[in-house]
Amino acid sequence: MFFQQLINGLTTGSVYALIALGYTMIYGILGLINFAQGEIYMCGAFVAVLLLATGKVNFFLAVALGMGAAALLGVILERVAFRPLRGFHPLVPLISAIGASIFLQSLALLLFGPNDRPFPIQFAFTTIMIAGLPVSTLQMTILAAALGFMGLLIVFVRYTTYGKAIVACALDRDTARLMGINVDRMVSLTFLLGSALSGAAGIMMAIYYNATYPRMGLLPGLKAFSAAILGGVGSIPGAILGGLLLGVAESLGAAYISSGFKDAIAFAILILVLLLRPQGILRGRGD
Amino acid sequence: MTAYVLHLAILAGIYIILTVSINLIIGYAGQVSLGHAAFYGIGAYASALMSLHYHFPFPAAALTAMLAAGLCGLALGLPTLRLKEDYLAIVTLGFGVIVDLVFLNLEITGGPDGLPGIPPPSFLGLNFREPWHYLILVIVTVILVLIATYRLVDSYHGRALRAIRDHEITAQVMGINTPAYKVVVFTLAAVLAGLAGSLYAHYITFINPETFGLHTSILILTMVVLGGMGSIAGSVLGAVILTILPEMLRQAHAYQELIYGGLLMLLLIWRPAGLLGRGKLSLKFLKRES
Amino acid sequence: MLTLKSVQAGYGRLPVLKGISLHVRSGEVVTLIGGNGAGKTTTLRTISGLLPPRKGAVEFAGQDLTRLPPERIVTLGLALVPEGRRVFRTLSVTANLELGAYHRRDKSEVRRDLEEIRQRFPILKERAHQAAGTLSGGEQQILAIGRALMARPRLLMLDEPSMGLAPRMVTQVYHILAELKAQGTTILLVEQNARAALKVADRGYVLETGRIILDGAAADLRDDPEVQRAYLGKGYQEVWE
Repeated sequence: MFFQQLINGLTTGSVYALIALGYTMIYGILGLINFAQGEIYMCGAFVAVLLLATGKVNFFLAVALGMGAAALLGVILERVAFRPLRGFHPLVPLISAIGASIFLQSLALLLFGPNDRPFPIQFAFTTIMIAGLPVSTLQMTILAAALGFMGLLIVFVRYTTYGKAIVACALDRDTARLMGINVDRMVSLTFLLGSALSGAAGIMMAIYYNATYPRMGLLPGLKAFSAAILGGVGSIPGAILGGLLLGVAESLGAAYISSGFKDAIAFAILILVLLLRPQGILRGRGD
Repeated sequence: MTAYVLHLAILAGIYIILTVSINLIIGYAGQVSLGHAAFYGIGAYASALMSLHYHFPFPAAALTAMLAAGLCGLALGLPTLRLKEDYLAIVTLGFGVIVDLVFLNLEITGGPDGLPGIPPPSFLGLNFREPWHYLILVIVTVILVLIATYRLVDSYHGRALRAIRDHEITAQVMGINTPAYKVVVFTLAAVLAGLAGSLYAHYITFINPETFGLHTSILILTMVVLGGMGSIAGSVLGAVILTILPEMLRQAHAYQELIYGGLLMLLLIWRPAGLLGRGKLSLKFLKRES
Repeated sequence: MLTLKSVQAGYGRLPVLKGISLHVRSGEVVTLIGGNGAGKTTTLRTISGLLPPRKGAVEFAGQDLTRLPPERIVTLGLALVPEGRRVFRTLSVTANLELGAYHRRDKSEVRRDLEEIRQRFPILKERAHQAAGTLSGGEQQILAIGRALMARPRLLMLDEPSMGLAPRMVTQVYHILAELKAQGTTILLVEQNARAALKVADRGYVLETGRIILDGAAADLRDDPEVQRAYLGKGYQEVWE
């Protein structure tokens, strides 16, 4: 029972971590929270699900296109809702992003209706025994895929020129410009990466819960934000750690405390973190 | 027809209280609440429950509503208001989601069915069952709220508070406890939202969780941005326009949220100061920094 | 090579530069000295494009810089070592150096320059994988200079390279500048430490509250009684003894 809850928590936690990475990277470079991150997640899921439903696209292509659509949406969103408002008080782009979030949610509602869509293809996932403990191959696949994406991101940020340039912009925008780094382009790239990861997260959850719907991004978005804060907003390892911890806490809390208020656990943790250690477990900006 | 106009006028009055209260948070704390509908709801439920179960007269029920909403605001504002602007928005958003869950799941709030049969106010020998009378009650309350707000804005403390907002670091160096001031203003805003909730509950006489969800918080925020962040008169205008407009565009009902979302984005890009421009509470920071 | 003509610049409503004209010829080391708030840093920010001028012209190698963003200006061959060093603290020493050559497309040459700079400044090789923020102030200054050199600048600008350094490190930094000068590097050096700056420079300008009040050969400035009194700390003794 405990082991099962732990695995459940790690699975959802790894997905929260993917979304939290988007929050944390964008926060790192712009100092702003992208309120519409949850809608980007939703967009990734919808594109993949709709493409698969046509029956003409194979699974991996659908995932790639779903992530691509999410990435594109992220880049457009930055152009429309953030860039024109640079230099204003942070409240202004914040509200603009809230507007974007509501707009996208209601647009999806109009286009696709309020009902859950099942994932169009069936997978042959089963439960296998590892060291005498039952493990779902679906959960293992999601966990492995999420960790894989995180690994790719870390490699990109650490070892590529563009990755280092993004970090440089997050650390010191003026000096980055003196190096010849085009900050606008790096901001776009950050939105692109963060949004692609959120899109992937959306597809994973669409498979895991077998449901895709317009408001699906609201709660995971909120929880991923809490995860980013928990880990220390601006920190990439922090977002991953925060996501996993939050997922496990939520899963154990739902099992041992109350399942009706499962969604409140992340929020309670957020408040606690803000009270006790607002800089998060691992603080940082640009690491 | 007149009954309908009366109905809209009463709703507009309630929304004015809500928008003015959010504007206080924006104007004094430079932050924004996305869970204002939750305070509104807490007020409505507290007031309704007091009248239904303990037969509180309206003024006592309304006071309970203000107290309940204010306490929640205090509890929420304390840990959050000393942090960056974005935190309060997310925390209040989360708060809204939780409060919605609570209304839906508790037995005492009637779950999704809500609470019917809330008595209309009658006190001091007056009966407010008639919409006309209720409108007068709402108008008087709105006027009182507006007078109180203007006095706060124009008072010595109000000006000091705004100076603090604009030069927070200086104020902190001088030993002024700026987060404490922000918490007071945020709590006050929650109190006003609670009052609006009480007015709503005793007017409609039936409440359910649906009224107090995220979409209402967004509607209130849109009203504020439309009228102009920081402008009290703008809040009034925004509330009136967005109460009447959706009624005139009934066939566009399905597009309502889409329009609000788009309106928020477009307004901020084209006219960040809103329709009425910059009022007394306006943030210096609506201007672009050079 | 670099020419400023009646440049005015400032922040918000505050004017800082009130009409500055100066020039740097190829192969020259020119210093700009002045006290706190004279506008030295602002001048470099204006040249490098971080702060667009309000009026006047900034020309580099025949090109107008006034409307170019900093990320374009660096590609023309102007590199700035900013005040306070501003290394990218969480990135490794090597990553900092690599970012200095960010705009360059000649990747094999960049690798060669990297090797050369590590040879010239062995400390940067020793600390190659360490986060730049863990270096001492002097080491960070060397890193910042190395990073700017990675751009292969035709004109190197330095903003107060001796600020906040121990005297021993100041000597080392100025030793590096003398070496660069000997190699024919064109340098525009901003300093509060006028004594050190005038020793290495060919020519100098004295900046006071946004205006150039004096200019001439470094040796002449060193001997100027006004400069001695205000910036070289001489004269105090005479007054007080």
